[in-house]
Amino acid sequence: MSGARVLVIDDEPEVRRALRMALSGRGYDVQLAANGEEALAEFDRHHPDLVLLDLQLPGLSGLEVCQEIRERSSVPIVILSVQGDEPTKVRALDLGADDYVTKPFGIDELLARMRAALRRGGGARPAGQAVIELGDLRIDLERREVTVRGQTVHLRPKEYEMLRYLAANAGKLVTHRMLLRAVWGAEYEDARPYLHVHVGQLRRKIEPDPSHPIYLLTEPGVGYRFASPDPAARPS
Amino acid sequence: MARLRQFVLAALGVALCSLAIAAIRALFVTPNLSTVYLLAVLFAAVTWGWWPALLAAVLAILSYDFFFVPPTHTFNIHDPAEWLALLVFLTVAAVTSNLAARERARRDEARRRATEATLLYELGRSLSGGELASALQEFAARLMEAFALQGCAVVLNEGQHRPRTLISVGAAAAEDSAGTVLGRPGGKRRHLGRWIAVRGSGNSRRPPTLSVPLHVGERPIGALRLVGRRVISDDETRLLATVADQLAAALERERLRQAAQQAEILRQTEGQRQALLASVSHDLRTPLASIKASAGSLLTPGVDWSDEDRRSFLTTIDREADRLNRLVGNLLDMSRIEGGVVRPQADWYDLAELVREVIVRLKPSLGGRTVGLECPDELPPIEIDYLMIDQVLTNLLENAARYTPPDSPILVRLAATTGGQQIGVVDRGPGVPAAERGRVFDKFYRLEPRGKAVGSGLGLAVARGLVEAHGGRIWLEDTPGGGASFCFELPAPEPPPPAPVLEASEAQT
Repeated sequence: MSGARVLVIDDEPEVRRALRMALSGRGYDVQLAANGEEALAEFDRHHPDLVLLDLQLPGLSGLEVCQEIRERSSVPIVILSVQGDEPTKVRALDLGADDYVTKPFGIDELLARMRAALRRGGGARPAGQAVIELGDLRIDLERREVTVRGQTVHLRPKEYEMLRYLAANAGKLVTHRMLLRAVWGAEYEDARPYLHVHVGQLRRKIEPDPSHPIYLLTEPGVGYRFASPDPAARPS
Repeated sequence: MARLRQFVLAALGVALCSLAIAAIRALFVTPNLSTVYLLAVLFAAVTWGWWPALLAAVLAILSYDFFFVPPTHTFNIHDPAEWLALLVFLTVAAVTSNLAARERARRDEARRRATEATLLYELGRSLSGGELASALQEFAARLMEAFALQGCAVVLNEGQHRPRTLISVGAAAAEDSAGTVLGRPGGKRRHLGRWIAVRGSGNSRRPPTLSVPLHVGERPIGALRLVGRRVISDDETRLLATVADQLAAALERERLRQAAQQAEILRQTEGQRQALLASVSHDLRTPLASIKASAGSLLTPGVDWSDEDRRSFLTTIDREADRLNRLVGNLLDMSRIEGGVVRPQADWYDLAELVREVIVRLKPSLGGRTVGLECPDELPPIEIDYLMIDQVLTNLLENAARYTPPDSPILVRLAATTGGQQIGVVDRGPGVPAAERGRVFDKFYRLEPRGKAVGSGLGLAVARGLVEAHGGRIWLEDTPGGGASFCFELPAPEPPPPAPVLEASEAQT
């Protein structure tokens, strides 16, 4: 995605330098910020197309910055987190971040996620398509019909809702809470224990090989992702 | 009272001698039988001491003079020779009774000393016996017996307001009225340097209590309390002082023994910590050394590396960075486990699905070998922390790959058990020798002679920590036919609930 403007927010000068070189080498226009205040100022000034945000910032925390940016715009936000900091990661995703990459990361992985996020556009706005197709799977949103290789699949209402929500946010990492809220309502936000069982049942109905899913991907400890329809830019 | 009785008996003895003399004179004619009285005097001296003997001597002289020296029945003496005889008698009586009395006193003293020594020996022996609590019981019992006490207690000063009662036998001795423990008031010396306080009046509610301070050198450490006695003799004071010293020494010995034990534990822990730090330092620096060497080579001015060489260096840097990352992750996991802050965030997951995902993810790094999966058709969901069990299985698989030949197959076997679900990672490698089996799950333990010890030695320790945080257990078995099987079981105390709320109507789309 040449020319796209990226705002990199990280307090480590080495990381900023490495990312600037790597990203500008791929044609991105890179802006840098070392902390939350700088980041918001830069954001207001230049309106980037994508934000790379490190969660561990001095002063204004990464979560606060994420929230601030999200309030101002629906720009895609990819967060950089440390391994093992699951709670903060999930929190950021719930606050509106689109995806995450764990440090230390491979640069290819980061670029792939950035591409996917840019393609989707940011925020949790579902795509306005009538039909979603991916491989042998076809979801007709208007007629509420799901077919695999032409064969109609019978889904329970909640299973359909789950599939629809994930597919509409294809490629985007959806947290447990987001999925529960979207399908069952805000009061079931924390009713996680059974979610995975339901996803498992859904997988058994639509995946060609439920034990090696290609449509409904699990992000352990965080949430789920519906595989992106563009195989060239599929994250992972 | 006893004294009076002794005097009376002495007088009686003299009277008896008078009768004897009279009888002998009736039978024989003898000049001077005053020596018969010596029997009474000596007897009195030996049996009762100096004073009764003196009384006996005086009475003897008077009796002899009165009854047997002419003129009889008077206290006059006509014959001067009789005077001499009486004088001699008196002198002899005095000297011999003195000697006898001293002898007796010495004998009494010796007996007293023997009793004291025996008591001290027995008290000392009871204190030196093994465990302090039972030793103190025996000590207190003997002391109560020896001093005829109603009760006995030992209290220790421990810096706080109230002294701590180590032992209390018989009548309540460590009453709160006892207050602070006595020390040695400056300068004044009394009873061999010990102050012994008497508390309480004679009535039964607050029996008199003697409090003997216990000292180690100059430092007061507590007190020995004796209930039921008001006064003690000098001898008893001396004895108590010695007893108190023995007790203080025994208590101090116990304190030092405990301190030595603590110090030893600390020393060993310190030693372990040093060894661990050395090991960790080495493990962290080794990949860094490779990275530094490769980067340095690439930066060397004037050297023109081929693309292949460049690629090789960069691959090393990339790979060693991964290795370092893994090590850091393991160290953090280990430190969390040791700190007791591992709290599984458990959800209901399908264990077979987890196993499949881990195998798929690890396949590229397992060196192209076959990894098989054996599991029953329908395994119910189980409550686990996905990421933790993922880590456990990853560590076991990487371990199996590391210690077996590159083409040796690995099998992962799932099974339901009575208590839960079990996963086994079965390899066909050289296995683990029986001698080392107990230690494989220890931190930093590596099977050295296996050639390159590439791992950090933490993988199995982390696996064990995570499994045990779930309330499960992990162990090692022999694979029949050769190889090792690392197994762990996760508890599933209740079956997963059917989740009624989320299953709305059965209407199909």
